[in-house]
Formats: sequence, C-alpha cells, structure tokens
Amino acid sequence: MSGMKLNGLKPLALVASAVAFASLPFWADQGIMFLAGLVLIEAVFALSWNLLFGFTGLASFGHAAFFAIGAYLTGYALRAALGIHFLLLILASGVLGAAVAVITGLVLLRRTTGIHLAIFTLALAEVLRIIIGYSTTLGREDGLASIPRPSLDLGLLVIDLSSGRSYYWFLCVAAGLLAWGLWVVCHGPFGRTLVSLRQDPERTAFMGVNVRAYRLGAFTISGGVASVSGALYAPWAQIVTPESAHWIHSTQPMLASLLGGVHAFWGPVLGTVLFSVINYLTRNLVGLAELVIGITLLVIVLAAPAGVMGLLESLQRKASKREGAEPVVELQRAERRAS
Amino acid sequence: MTLLDLAFTLVNGLATGMAVFLVAAGLTLIFGILKILNFAHGAFFMIGAYVAFSIVGSNPPSIWLFILAAVVAGVVVAALGFLADRTVLQRLRNVDEAYMLIATFAVLLICSGIVKLIWGVNYNSINPPPMLDGALIIGQLFIPSYSLFVIIAGIVVFLALDFAIHRTWLGKLLQSVAHDSWMAGLLGVNVPVALTATVIASFLLAGLAGGLLLANQTLSPILGESYLLLAFMAVIIGGLGNVRGAFIAAILLGVIESASSLLMPNMPGMATYIFVILFLLAKPQGLLGGQRI
Repeated sequence: MSGMKLNGLKPLALVASAVAFASLPFWADQGIMFLAGLVLIEAVFALSWNLLFGFTGLASFGHAAFFAIGAYLTGYALRAALGIHFLLLILASGVLGAAVAVITGLVLLRRTTGIHLAIFTLALAEVLRIIIGYSTTLGREDGLASIPRPSLDLGLLVIDLSSGRSYYWFLCVAAGLLAWGLWVVCHGPFGRTLVSLRQDPERTAFMGVNVRAYRLGAFTISGGVASVSGALYAPWAQIVTPESAHWIHSTQPMLASLLGGVHAFWGPVLGTVLFSVINYLTRNLVGLAELVIGITLLVIVLAAPAGVMGLLESLQRKASKREGAEPVVELQRAERRAS
Repeated sequence: MTLLDLAFTLVNGLATGMAVFLVAAGLTLIFGILKILNFAHGAFFMIGAYVAFSIVGSNPPSIWLFILAAVVAGVVVAALGFLADRTVLQRLRNVDEAYMLIATFAVLLICSGIVKLIWGVNYNSINPPPMLDGALIIGQLFIPSYSLFVIIAGIVVFLALDFAIHRTWLGKLLQSVAHDSWMAGLLGVNVPVALTATVIASFLLAGLAGGLLLANQTLSPILGESYLLLAFMAVIIGGLGNVRGAFIAAILLGVIESASSLLMPNMPGMATYIFVILFLLAKPQGLLGGQRI
C-alpha cells in the first residue's frame, strides 16, 4: 500500500541489520557485544508485548513477570546442573510462561480490559517479585548469581556456548527465529483477526469471532515468548535478580514499542535499539539519560503517535507523492473511547 | 495478638492510609474528571518534597514553617502542573488511555531526571519539626505525634476536597464536566478551563502531600515510586475517580499493610497486592463505583 520503494527498502534494512548484528563480534568490543546481546533479548521481549498491545489492544503492565519466570527457571536449572538439554530448558520456559499466561488470562480477560487489566497485571507481577524476594531457593533479593552458560548438544555436533561470542551468535539465531515466528503469527489470519479485534471488538464479535478466545490466544503466545526471552537472558547476563520482575522492567517493552511504533511489526525492535543507543550515549551523565529518554518519548507521543516507524512511513509516502495517501495510524480514530 | 497490638496496628494503618490518601487525592481528582491515570503524579509528589526540603532543610525549625513549606511546595507544583497541562496533557485529550499513560510516564522520567540534576542522587533524611517530634502515650499505646499529624492532615484534606466537590458551585460544575463534558459545554460551561483547573488542583495536592509527608522519609530520587503504586491501588479500589471511595480504600490498604507487616514481616506489600487482585475480581467497579467523583 505504501509504494514499491518502501517494499524494496524494508527487506534491505532487515538484511542490513541482520548482517550488522551477526558481524558485531568482529568489529566491536566486549562491552558493546554484551549490550547488543541485551538488545536482542529485549527486542524479543518487546515484540511479545506488542503482540498484545499493538495487535490485540491489550495493555499489560506486568509483562516482566513472564520474563522473570523464564529467567528464573533457566537460571535455576543451569545452576543446579540438572543436565537438561538447553533447548529443552528454553522450551520448558516458554511452556511455563504460556501456562501462567493461560491461567491469568482465563481469570483476568473475562473481567477486564483497559486500565483494570493494566493494574491487575501490575499487581500480579509485584506479587511474583515479592515471592521471589522471599524465596531462599531463588536467592531472595540477591538473585541467582554466576549462572553457567551451557553447551548446546545438536546430536552431530556439540557447540560450547560458554564463550561470549558463541553465546552471542546463539542469541542472534534464537532472536531471529522468535521474531520470524511472531511475524508469521501476526501476519496470518490469526494476527489479522487480532487487529480487527483491537480496532473494534464489538463488530468483530458480531462477525462470529470468539473475542475472548482470541485475546486469550494472544495473551498465551505473548506470555510464552516473553518467558523465552527471559530464558535467553539468564545465561547471557549470568545473573537474575527480582528486579527482572519489577514494574519498571515491565515498562521497557512498552516504551520501546511506543518509540519504535506499535502498529508496525518491527517498531519494537527499532525502539529497543534506539533506547539502548540513548542509554549508552548518556551513560555517564546522572539524570540526563532519563531526561533525554523522557523528552524523546514525549515528542514521539505528541508529534508522531505512530512512532519512528510511522514517521518513516509517512515521510516515505510524502516523498513518493502518491495520491490517496491514507493516515498511517487509525489509533485516534478507532480507539477513541465512546464514553 | 493482644489488644495493644491491634490498637497499634490500627493507628499505624490509619497513618499509612492517610499518607496514601494524601497522594491519592490528586490522583483520583484528575482521574475522575479527566480520566487520566497520571503516572507522573508520584514524580510531582517527589518534587513537592524536594521543594519543601529546600525551604526547611533537614531539621525544620517549627511546625508552622513546616506547613508553610508544604503549601509553598503545593503552589510550585501547581505551577508546574499548569505547564504540564499546556505542553502535554492538553494536547492529549481524547487520545487512547494507553498513550496517556505513556505520555505521563515520559513526564515521570523527565521529572526524575530533573530532580537528579538539581538535587543530586544523595539520600537525605528529614526530622519532624519540634512539636511533632515526640509521641502521644495513652496507657501503653504509643503514637508518634508525626503519625497523628499525618492522620489529621489526611482527614482535613479529605473534608476540604469533599466539601469543595459536593457543596460548592465549582465542584458541581466539575461534576457536570466529569459526567458529560459535551453536554456541559453545550450548557455554557467553559470545559477547557474546568479541565485545566482540575489539573492544577490535582498537582497542588501532589505538591502539598510531598511537603506534608516530608519528615520521616528518606528523600531520594526514588521517593516518587514508594507511594505511587499504593495510591494507584487506592484510586482503583475506590472506584476510579471517586474521592470518598479513594479515602475509604486508602484506610483499608493502610490497615492491611500495617497488619501484614505484623503478621508477615518477610513479605512487605504482599497482602496488599493480593487484596487488590481479589477485590477487583469480586468487584471490578470498585468500592463506590458507578458514581464518579
């Protein structure tokens, strides 16, 4: 819809960023590589949140709880050296996250959306954080430290992930696969139904769609993927603390998604990268990082609610001067509440 | 648990509850009329505390200066609220609530950045002024005077706010705007001015709360967070924007918090969150839901 130029540019940008990320260990130092790894993890986390918000229209304020579930499960298992295959551990994290999402979703989505859902999820995540802080097995407030990086047994060959580089490449592959999986979900019939549900739940229900089942489905996938991102995080950072379930962490994917653009699939990824860059550039200046991020966010919300991606798309549209240009987002129109 | 424990828990809970209400008052006002869940409220509360601290220092010389500092903090924060309304909130009327949350979150980040730049990241502790330094002893019950001060302040603010909303011309006008701003506008109410006035009043309350709750706090750039979540819970349980509901909810939350710190000292806050979850599952519209303001 937005012209050949954009369609040609998007794969190019994707390939370029994939190459940039994959080749990073060859030209950047250890510190940057660590940050890039975190970006990959947080990007997947943000994508999972945006499946809920950008696609389904549900704002969860406790998404970090799922992240923490995966991180703690994997961190605990690796420290205990239970000998479980690493891929199986990641899978188990995803299943556990999805299971928790189903249970909470069954209870919460029956009752609420909007602000109530936000407060509910926030309270649940805080409860989880307090429980973790209380549990001696999970290291209380100190968290689980010195988590070992596992080796990956692929049958024919065994890849040792203990070095930074090899785990980083593993992260690249894992994040790429997860993003691809989410892309497929979002752009298939399921994702299309979610979008129509966000735009007008009532009409979608009239069309015979089981609104609750679709919302629950989105909640489940989102919780599972968030939990997997946590599972990837534990061996990378080698420490997990209750902070990973803190509500401040829950706001990270929200901010990244908003900054990048919630209605564009790759928006959250772009947002995560931008955030890290801002954080990195302002790292030595106390207070300035928050100031810069706050002002950036505010300008985005005020001037370009479609985020950086939306801004790029509308610039693109203006440049190509095609007529019949439609607004990039319909958020102010369709989502304005009637009351 | 003895009777003394019970009485102690109740008084403590009441003090906590009133502290929460002082923060929740402005929050619930702005929610009731503008339907904004203002994330930045905690940050402005914190700015109020810092402003008051700059006036009275670590050892406030007298209770009157302490109260005056709180009022000045309220006025300063109200001015900032006017600024925030003009630059941010006004532009976002009628936008989806999630965007409002993000916008106020951005304001929160900006505020905490500014606080760090101006006042630094050090921790300051502030003593109560001389008259509030002691304690009231009734039999074996020991009530710190400052707790008593906070309880009285909370009740006074509640009564003033309740009177203003339910008994005055301006309050009724605001009620009509909250109920149906379109119709209110049609009947000749200057809706934009009414909304701006609400924002200013809400921020005034935030700054005032910051000043009044200054003593016995550790003043640091994370002060904003400490009451914000509890105040949110009070607003939600109270019935989203209902001042009387928020008042009752704040007392309830305060007592639960103080009882749980007696019964489950290892898990601070746990009982409160569980209560909130269960309560909202049972009664999603809140204590006094249905009737706004």
